[in-house]
Amino acid sequence: MVSKTEETQLNRLENQVDNGGGGAWEYLCLARKLKVRRPENVLKYGLSILNDSKKRSALGPEEWTLYEQVAIAAMDCQCLDVAKDCIKVLRKKFPESKRVGRLEGMLLEAKGLWGEAEKAYSSLLEDNALDQVIHKRRVAMAKAQGNISAAIEWLNKYLEIFMADHDAWRELAEIYVSLQMYKQAAFCYEELILSQPTVPLYHLAYADVLYTLGGLENLQTAKKYYASTIDLTGGKNTRALLGICLCTSAIGQVSKGRNKEDKESPELQSLAAKALEKDYKQRADDKLGLLTSVLTSLKI
Amino acid sequence: MAEDLVLDTAIRDWVLIPLSVVMVLIGILRYFVSKLMLSSQLPDPKIVKEGQIIVRARNLRAAANFIPPKSFRSRRVYFSNEENGLLFVPKGQAQNPQAQMFSDPNMAMDMMKKNLSMIIPQTLTFAWVNFFFSGFVAAKIPFPLTQRFRSMLQNGIDLSTVDVSYVSSRSWYFLNLFGLRGLFSLILGEENATDDTQRMMQMSGFGFDPSKNLGAEKDGLDIVQHEWALPKFEHRAEAVLKKLIK
Repeated sequence: MVSKTEETQLNRLENQVDNGGGGAWEYLCLARKLKVRRPENVLKYGLSILNDSKKRSALGPEEWTLYEQVAIAAMDCQCLDVAKDCIKVLRKKFPESKRVGRLEGMLLEAKGLWGEAEKAYSSLLEDNALDQVIHKRRVAMAKAQGNISAAIEWLNKYLEIFMADHDAWRELAEIYVSLQMYKQAAFCYEELILSQPTVPLYHLAYADVLYTLGGLENLQTAKKYYASTIDLTGGKNTRALLGICLCTSAIGQVSKGRNKEDKESPELQSLAAKALEKDYKQRADDKLGLLTSVLTSLKI
Repeated sequence: MAEDLVLDTAIRDWVLIPLSVVMVLIGILRYFVSKLMLSSQLPDPKIVKEGQIIVRARNLRAAANFIPPKSFRSRRVYFSNEENGLLFVPKGQAQNPQAQMFSDPNMAMDMMKKNLSMIIPQTLTFAWVNFFFSGFVAAKIPFPLTQRFRSMLQNGIDLSTVDVSYVSSRSWYFLNLFGLRGLFSLILGEENATDDTQRMMQMSGFGFDPSKNLGAEKDGLDIVQHEWALPKFEHRAEAVLKKLIK
């Protein structure tokens, strides 16, 4: 995940290059390092460097990394001829490379030739059964074909071996949520929280899933995780604040007859409501009316 | 015995400096040869899987207090239960990794190559030093030593009355062998094949690592007491919000 400073730096470089003031190579390096997906810009700037033979030779050995980056960006923008040219150049230079093999597989995917892409990836995996990137490409391909259950199957197999790969867990969690398999999604989010306990995003997502599952215990747990998100983000996360309000009122509704056990609930809810109102006043004054009506309906 | 021997400066010019230069050059040569002979070793799937299991178990131990108690317990059972827990290594299997390493031809070849690239240059240089540079005093060590070091440091010098601080070139060779490591990491970058001392330390403890690690992780996991930290967070969130509203 990209931090805010890195994002602003990236945008600044983008503006700089857009307005004609050099820095294209730094932009490309930064995009590659942060693994962000900005295909049009990468394609534009990358081609401008590659087509100019002087600039190209100034890059030295980095030239090939640039070819790879431009090839992937071209495939994103569906400029398949550009991609094919780049890959041809790379294949001439590195005839036996697995990295180029992966790019060729991606080109087949981009053209929509799923069967051949699958064959290409399987042959690459025969040589090296532990190539993480190729495994992930297979999952991505299954997802792109719309075959979500196959994607889940591949991803689970991948995670059986590489169970410390938190990006894969995140992908699996999102797939489960899209299929409304919330229990499994909760498991994946727990894994994510275990590996990176200080990232508020995972707490928030986990709380959302628990709230959706419903049931008194889950609601109480969800409330706790919304609270931890608020703590980790210093109270600035609107979604967590709203989550607290919703959770408290839902708990109140579910446990109408039973005696309320948590002692801090009214305070937390009212505090969250006040914080929300303050936030809305500052940032979106015109929507304050909507907020107050929602809050009053919840407190019932 | 306490007299100061005057050593010819020619010794410095023709023994100490050439010996150091030769050792540096041989080190650089070995570095490039090792780069040429680098065989891409296919990682063993079992070892990769075990490494990942250990990372995951470690994460579980470290952040156990962030997930609900039920989830923690179910995960702990998954890892360390007797029948098919991931971390559970039955006693019989514990011996396998070392035997496997010897029987697996690829790994054995690799280890032999690494050992050879270390042993052969050392042996050759040592023999060369002994042949050409023996039988005279090469240097004086600045601090006094006991008589026990005589056999080690003065092997070419057959006089028993010479102070032990006067050493032969063999000791200069050993000094260079261990001392040039710092120089190599400056010249060749951090990862270089001349890290003999590291390799020697590695040789003493190889093979057993995977199963011991798993067992250690399992014990660590069994010990962990789960104390759910989330209720505290509600209080903290309140405090944060109170501050925010003010």
